[in-house]
Amino acid sequence: MLHVKNLTASVGEAEILTGLDLEVGAGEVHAIMGPNGSGKSTFAHALAGRDGYEIAGEAILDGVDLLELEPEERAAAGVFMGFQYPVEIPGVNNMYFLRTALNSVRRARGDYEISARDFLAVANEAMELVEMKEGFLNRSVNAGFSGGEKKRNEILQMAVMQPRLAVLDETDSGLDIDALRVVANGVNSLRGPERSMIVITHYQRLLDYIKPDFVHVLVNGRIVESGDHTLALHLEDHGYADFVADDAALSGAPA
Amino acid sequence: MIVDVLPGRTAALEQVSSLELPTKRDEAWRYAPHKALGALTFGPAAAPAAVPADVDAQIPEIEGPRLVIVNGVFDPERSRLDATPSSLRVESLAEATDEAVVGLLQREYDAAEDAFSIINRAYGTGGALVLVDGRVDKTIHVVNVVAPEVPQAATAARVIVEMAEGSAATLVETRIGSGDVGACNIRTEISLAAGASLEHIVLQDLPTTQIHLGRVDVVQAADSCYQTRLFNLGADYGRVAYHVHLAGEGAEADLSGLYFGFGDQTLDQQITVVHAAANCRTSQSYRGVLDDESTGIWNGGVDVRPGADGTDSVQSNDNLVLSRRAEVNTMPRLEILADEVSCQHGATVGELDEEALYYLRSRGIGQAEARRLLINGFADQVMDDLHDDVLRTWIAERLGPDHA
Ligand SMILES: Nc1ncnc2c1ncn2[C@@H]1O[C@H](COP(=O)(O)OP(=O)(O)OP(=O)(O)O)[C@@H](O)[C@H]1O
Ligand SMILES: [Mg+2]
Repeated sequence: MLHVKNLTASVGEAEILTGLDLEVGAGEVHAIMGPNGSGKSTFAHALAGRDGYEIAGEAILDGVDLLELEPEERAAAGVFMGFQYPVEIPGVNNMYFLRTALNSVRRARGDYEISARDFLAVANEAMELVEMKEGFLNRSVNAGFSGGEKKRNEILQMAVMQPRLAVLDETDSGLDIDALRVVANGVNSLRGPERSMIVITHYQRLLDYIKPDFVHVLVNGRIVESGDHTLALHLEDHGYADFVADDAALSGAPA
Repeated sequence: MIVDVLPGRTAALEQVSSLELPTKRDEAWRYAPHKALGALTFGPAAAPAAVPADVDAQIPEIEGPRLVIVNGVFDPERSRLDATPSSLRVESLAEATDEAVVGLLQREYDAAEDAFSIINRAYGTGGALVLVDGRVDKTIHVVNVVAPEVPQAATAARVIVEMAEGSAATLVETRIGSGDVGACNIRTEISLAAGASLEHIVLQDLPTTQIHLGRVDVVQAADSCYQTRLFNLGADYGRVAYHVHLAGEGAEADLSGLYFGFGDQTLDQQITVVHAAANCRTSQSYRGVLDDESTGIWNGGVDVRPGADGTDSVQSNDNLVLSRRAEVNTMPRLEILADEVSCQHGATVGELDEEALYYLRSRGIGQAEARRLLINGFADQVMDDLHDDVLRTWIAERLGPDHA
């Protein structure tokens, strides 16, 4: 399904991803954890197609080379990224945005477009899933949303887009206990044999709700350790010290 | 050349021959195309032999009374003045000769006259007269059409609006055109008596071969309320100058607008709001989108006269620049000669938000469509309280070069 091999990303002199390898099978949920600044968001953006990095290596989804595609083409290929910092877009109606997004992707895939009326049903179902109040659809995209509301809106979009690969970047940060449960339920209900997920998080707490199949530790731009969910428990107790030291030793940098 | 007092049309006609047009040194005319303005020939209004075929489709189909002026001359065929309510008198200015009207035609303003306003008085024999006494629910629509029969021909027209005490109405002014190089010089003169309120929408979409010289003079008595929305979209040089004079205590004026330039258009908004009485509130909120090699000008002034204590004014001007060759000149001006005054202003010039563009594209929305969404989203904030769907559609269809 997703095959990432020796992925590097740099901006000017700064090497942010330094040779990242990851294999994600269909229907699997992978968690990525790692210290601040280790390159987790950069990895997510590299998959989603943000401009401004120099990228090399491989990122192949269902045989399609993502690195060759524009962001909108990647979305059409089934990539969805939940932003760590969702962007506020004043003046653009949330409902209209969602319908335009869905229909753009459908058009790119050669599907028929969904009418405004039929879309309402799709949107309402997604709204229920993330327990969002109706008013949100009529507001501008993320404009003036609280931190937690923005994160729910990301999951709402995922529910509407029904991606093949979802990359959720710290969708749990800034959520209160109830919102965390709502978002986790949303994610769980979208799990399926045809959909894979990469969940970036700092907190073991989320992984109690979303049981990942694999946990990876990302340090200095590459994955330095992989395991099952018990790895997250280990990190919760011991932090990243072991891995950071190991990696520094490996790359020859002063510890 | 600036003339302070203007006794009447005869005097204006006498002045016309010796008029000096504004130059680059006149702050309010700094970005005007002086050569093109000098090449225009103004003269008495004359209806064209035939109104061009593409005019009718340009007129927004708003329900209610409609008065159409072509090249400064009333066009009865396109107008719709039957069935106006008793609280409204709307008619062709050329035909209005009664005593009361003659007085209105000679009204003098606190704001200085300029060469083009004198020309307007000299040659603007036609136009619309709108007298409101009571509450008028139907929108009043005045349409000005520019259809030059010879190149450089320029015509003048006047729109005179008199709102009686406590009256209320909505006035839409549409300015459109067809054909050759030419210009129009349209002055709207509005007076609001105590407690009157007027919503005034100006739609300017002349062809880019033409020049639009618009001037709006407003005088407000106590507790009156003037709300205006300018959509300055067309013309090679599209100018609208507002002079709003708050003469009575507790008056309110709410001015906003959108200018949207492409090609090498120059869109010029010159706003002056004068607080001449205590406890008045005004706001100016303008947005510009400038593409290609277009230029946008927003020169917004607030003048707080002695004694206008308790003045509250806010000004904002936000611009979205879509091309490296486009240009914005934003100039807030403040002169405060009173006490306990609150005047705020802010101006921004920005480009399309790259993060927002990426966010939209990451959801599958193509580059061009994503840009359009962001641009319209920016422009839409001026339309937020515009509830007439006909107007909204008319404007939306004209945003950006795609409408051609
Ligand atoms: N455009 C850029 N130019 C220069 N440096 C960048 C750029 N983008 C990211 N970086 C740097 O790359 C490193 C990784 O950033 P990234 O946002 O991927 O970290 P992260 O693992 O998501 O951290 P966090 O846990 O704080 O979200 C950081 O040191 C960051 O400052
Ligand atoms: Mg991050």
